[in-house]
Amino acid sequence: MKMKWRLIGKIAVLEPIGRFDAHNAPAVAEALAEARNSSLKDAIVNLGQVNFLDSTALATLVQGMKHCRQLGGDLHLCCLQQPVRIIFELTRLDKAFDIYETEAEALHAFGG
Amino acid sequence: MPSAGEAAPAGLAAVLTMRRPQVEAMAQAWLLAGARAFGITSHGRVLAAWPGPEAQPAAQIEPGALGGLAAEVTADGWLLGELRVTGMAGAVAAARLAADATLLAQLAQQERELDAVAEELVGAQDQILALYDLARAARSHLNLPETLSAPACETARLVATDGAAVLFVPDDGEPAWGWHGPGVPELATLLAAFRRLPADGRELILAGSEASHGCNLLLIPVHVRQHTAAALALARGPGCTAFASPEIKLAHAIAEQSGAQIENVLLYEETLARARLDTEMALARTVQMRLLPARAPAITGLQLAGRATPALQVGGDFYDFMPAQAGRTCTFAVGDVSGKGLSAALVMAMARSVLRSKASGGATPAQMLDSANAELYDDLTEVAMFATVFVGQYDPVARTLRYANAGHSPVIYCPPDGPARLLEADGTALGVLPFSLCQDHELPFGPAALLVIGTDGFSEASNAAGAMYGYERLLRLVESLAVQPAAAIADEIYLAVGAFAAGQLQADDQTLIVAKGVLS
Repeated sequence: MKMKWRLIGKIAVLEPIGRFDAHNAPAVAEALAEARNSSLKDAIVNLGQVNFLDSTALATLVQGMKHCRQLGGDLHLCCLQQPVRIIFELTRLDKAFDIYETEAEALHAFGG
Repeated sequence: MPSAGEAAPAGLAAVLTMRRPQVEAMAQAWLLAGARAFGITSHGRVLAAWPGPEAQPAAQIEPGALGGLAAEVTADGWLLGELRVTGMAGAVAAARLAADATLLAQLAQQERELDAVAEELVGAQDQILALYDLARAARSHLNLPETLSAPACETARLVATDGAAVLFVPDDGEPAWGWHGPGVPELATLLAAFRRLPADGRELILAGSEASHGCNLLLIPVHVRQHTAAALALARGPGCTAFASPEIKLAHAIAEQSGAQIENVLLYEETLARARLDTEMALARTVQMRLLPARAPAITGLQLAGRATPALQVGGDFYDFMPAQAGRTCTFAVGDVSGKGLSAALVMAMARSVLRSKASGGATPAQMLDSANAELYDDLTEVAMFATVFVGQYDPVARTLRYANAGHSPVIYCPPDGPARLLEADGTALGVLPFSLCQDHELPFGPAALLVIGTDGFSEASNAAGAMYGYERLLRLVESLAVQPAAAIADEIYLAVGAFAAGQLQADDQTLIVAKGVLS
């Protein structure tokens, strides 16, 4: 899996690509930790290019979300493909995360 | 090798011994030509004289007795001795004697060269034997200290040094070394020299003020797994001769050998560690399997079957049948901790215990999950994990099933008249949110009602083409198996999913409970 990450204002935007599982979850965890170390309290994970997540990937996102909320920020998800959306619905993680249709909406929700 | 000063007198003596016929012929030629006597002297001693001494040995003849012509025998500027002829005179005789002296000098030179070659051969043979010994002894060295000391000892024996050492500087660990002899520098000095080894694999020679205490230090890189991770060090005290090329070559050969030995020991140690880990994991698996219920409880009107197969030796899935509560209900649970392997197994053991402790006191499934989440949330946050859990509670009197689902899937309910459907979770997994969203739900659970609580190891099992088994197939499978007893349904699900993913490694833990309503 590849991952792009950029900064929009003071919001870290991560874009994992492909299968998001135990093998590459550490890369996402590192990027989120890096954002946290840079005092960025808000993050967006754009899952538009992800076709599968396993439980380790979900745990990584949950941890990232908790860290953001500890800093008074949040972690938003956007652009979920249908199979990924189903995973979030089945695990009810759609109740834990703020999930948006588009990256623009996710950004806007931060007041950006 | 003896110095030239010592070689000079031995030179002519050796020629006399080894080339006696040639020297004899030379002497006889002079006698035939009319000489009264022919002799060879060296440093004031007569080594041989012709005609042969009849009454006294040559050594007792005074050199003065061999008067007349004389010619010096010299080699490389060294005076080896003289040829003397009595009873001859004239330029022709003098020139002939000079020519004989030159011939004798050449013979002496050849003898010396032969000696040197023979000596080198013997030396090389010794070194080959020593290397062979070293290689053979290495097989019995199974620990690092011995493996480092042995070549140091051998080097000190084969090369004239005041001390030798082998140091091993692994990337991820403390340096280790073995040494022999009184003149070995301190470890810190050797480590400093080690860092100065040239990158091209050549040796490092430090002399005088560059090395500690003014000694000569020769450091040969030792390659361990394609890296310069060790070195062979030879030290000579101040004022000693520098290390010569044959010694450096020999040291390289020993260094090469040492590298192979260190690799052997590392491999041995790794194999040992792996074997220990395997044993530990096998024990952990036994422990984990014992945490799972040995058998399903006998409940009036309900068949229960539970199975678990971790993907690795141990896993993060669990299922449990809680002790029957005073009164009537039977509680059971299936859980899946995120991740797999040992870390998931540790969290699984913790989650199982906490959940078990919440089963007493008449708590409903949602209450159990609520208080388990409160207790586990901080720990789960600490280790960045979560646990999906389904809890079911069967009431044999009302013949109903009450359940709550914290993010767990797949849970499949198949009423007596079908079709099978997924019971979706309403709460998030334990450890995701500090509060619980789970609510209790109730299903009629009379005869032929079927509930299969699996883990994602079934739905996400993939075949060779990368396709997942998926929920649709699972639903249809459960429907097709619904008439069978609970234990058979459990077995058939494993078989069907296993057949689908034939040849693929089981990627995730597979655990399930099958509950089926039967006539009481």
